Amino acid sequence: MISAPPQDAAPPLSAALRSLEAQWLSRGVARAGDPLASLREKAMARVLKLGLPTLRDETWRYTNMRHLASHEFVDAPRTAGGEAEMAASLSLLGAEEGPATVLMVNGHPRLPASIDSINNNIEIISLRDLSRINPALIAAHLEPLSDADQARWGLVNSALFMDGVYLKVTGTMAAPLAILHLLTSDGTDNIAFPHVIIDVAPGSRATVIEHYVAQGANPPLCNSATHIAAGRDSHVEHYRVFATSEGAEHIDSLNIRLDGGSRCKQFTIVLGGGLVRTALAADLRQPGASLDSYALLVGNEARHVDCVNVVGHNAPHTTSRQTARAIASGTSRVVFNTKVVVGAGSAHAESQQSCRGLLLSPTAEIDTRPQLEIHADEVKCAHGATTGRLDPDMLFYMLSRGLDRDTAQRLLVYAFLADVLTDMSLPAARRAIETALIAQLPDPQTLNKFR
Amino acid sequence: MLLKVTDLHVRVAGKDILRGVSLEVKAGEVHAIMGPNGSGKSTLAQVLAGREDYEVTRGSVTFDGRDLLSLPAEERARAGLFLGFQYPVEIPGVNNVYLLKAALNAKRKAAGQPEVDAYEFLALIKQKMKLMQMSESFLSRGVNEGFSGGEKKRNEVLQMLVLEPKLAILDETDSGLDIDALKVVSMGVNSLRDPRRSVVLVTHYQRLLDYIVPDHVHVLSGGRILKSGDRSLALELERRGYDWVQGAAIA
Repeated sequence: MISAPPQDAAPPLSAALRSLEAQWLSRGVARAGDPLASLREKAMARVLKLGLPTLRDETWRYTNMRHLASHEFVDAPRTAGGEAEMAASLSLLGAEEGPATVLMVNGHPRLPASIDSINNNIEIISLRDLSRINPALIAAHLEPLSDADQARWGLVNSALFMDGVYLKVTGTMAAPLAILHLLTSDGTDNIAFPHVIIDVAPGSRATVIEHYVAQGANPPLCNSATHIAAGRDSHVEHYRVFATSEGAEHIDSLNIRLDGGSRCKQFTIVLGGGLVRTALAADLRQPGASLDSYALLVGNEARHVDCVNVVGHNAPHTTSRQTARAIASGTSRVVFNTKVVVGAGSAHAESQQSCRGLLLSPTAEIDTRPQLEIHADEVKCAHGATTGRLDPDMLFYMLSRGLDRDTAQRLLVYAFLADVLTDMSLPAARRAIETALIAQLPDPQTLNKFR
Repeated sequence: MLLKVTDLHVRVAGKDILRGVSLEVKAGEVHAIMGPNGSGKSTLAQVLAGREDYEVTRGSVTFDGRDLLSLPAEERARAGLFLGFQYPVEIPGVNNVYLLKAALNAKRKAAGQPEVDAYEFLALIKQKMKLMQMSESFLSRGVNEGFSGGEKKRNEVLQMLVLEPKLAILDETDSGLDIDALKVVSMGVNSLRDPRRSVVLVTHYQRLLDYIVPDHVHVLSGGRILKSGDRSLALELERRGYDWVQGAAIA
């Protein structure tokens, strides 16, 4: 525990909650014919009962959302003003990899006419269409609903999402699929609820990149949710890249369910936005499931990044490895909060947590909290957290070889992040992410003053 | 005169470590600075290379006609000064070859030369690695990452061979080496000997000087050079121990 959080004046977020409820009520007519109505009812009822999380909630103690109290939320538009071209500059995948890209504007997908034109071995359908054909399939991915505070905004998404995509992978994907989430507003207090379900059949291999970008000033509050179900012995590599604009606020919830022998590599990369809160909840629910999660969190200027991972080992012989690297400059704050829960009956579970922070300015802050909760015997769990500044010995070594200070510092920052970057299997994505990263390193003069 | 140190006083963490060191090194000469642990040998090496947290309280240093102390570490390196570290730091994530190439290009740029051709550079580094008997796996590794003590020292000498400094200051490059590695490292240093280049060897033991024969030997103790002489001084030191010089100085 670091320090007691400042106490909120009660009730901080009830106005925001009322506004979300009003939105809910305004959808009443549409809801009458909605096959997911009962699920949505349940989710909304939970949110109304439990309230929106505040600093008093365990995983929210570093992130204050009370400024939302003054918002009168309205749905963000379904289409972008102007032309939302999928310019190469927006895409994380270079053209040489022949990426298939699905564009989603504020959560509303624009699907190509032919699925085959996108990729082999995958089917894509909008959640709007799927809810008419097979609502139970959607419900199966969203349930059971969780009361945990880190899942609260995920419940809001379940209650209010309007559309999204369901992606079914059967076999090996011929190429990675990129989902480009474009966030755009047509006024103030816009809110968007993007929703993605990635369903990977047993033995299949899938690589999916979700990339969030914002268009124009005053982008909507983005409350996004992704559900990944990794079938038996499947391999999934998933990226979520947050590269929205300066003032943008984002609350993302990612749920991963791992069946026996499945492996998931997950990268959470925060490179943009004003306030980015990411939650990852993993359920290693059958023997042999394994999760490798990586977080690369870049705090720049006044950005606030709060990354929460809760990994549940709920079967024997499950493995999780979490690697987080945070850098913070300017007056930014980066929080990495990770919890591994090894349930009873999860013998021979193995988990590793490695969190490292690098402070690049005296006014930045990094908080890392690796936590372990073990209810089983014969488990192997390790965790470590360190936060520091650039190593003066490394810097001197490089200077003594004639490198200029700016280059040496950039190389050291880059090296610090390399553990995450080198494990990316997609070279083009890695290059694009590196380029975006380097552009965000603070100017050398600021670094010099701090040394 | 390539290097001229005059009455150098240095304070580290509030403690006076060097207390009036004077030293002159001419082009082409090899000097050995010997002394017991804690005598200030490494401080001298580091301060000449530009370590910033070491405070020079008095004295001056000129290198190749320039005021060395007014230059930041990177400019000293580009001007042709090289420090072989006693404890080379590991920098995981920064590739060995990348660092070496960046170092060479920084030096070339300062001299108004174009960047080295990537192909030629690789050929050069492979040739020098062969001389230092280093394995090719070195090319893909991070700077000193997971290297043994001996490998780190060979890497220091390799860097020196690629950068071809005017003055190499080698801080206990012999420590922790077995006899075979010592021969390889010595051969590397000797290959650089040239009428225009100088070497300052900082060492605790005479052993290294069997392989790299110095022109001058200095004994540093208590932050001062107590005695200077030729190679025979090193041999006498080995026979009589540092107490002999320290005792003579007090008397």
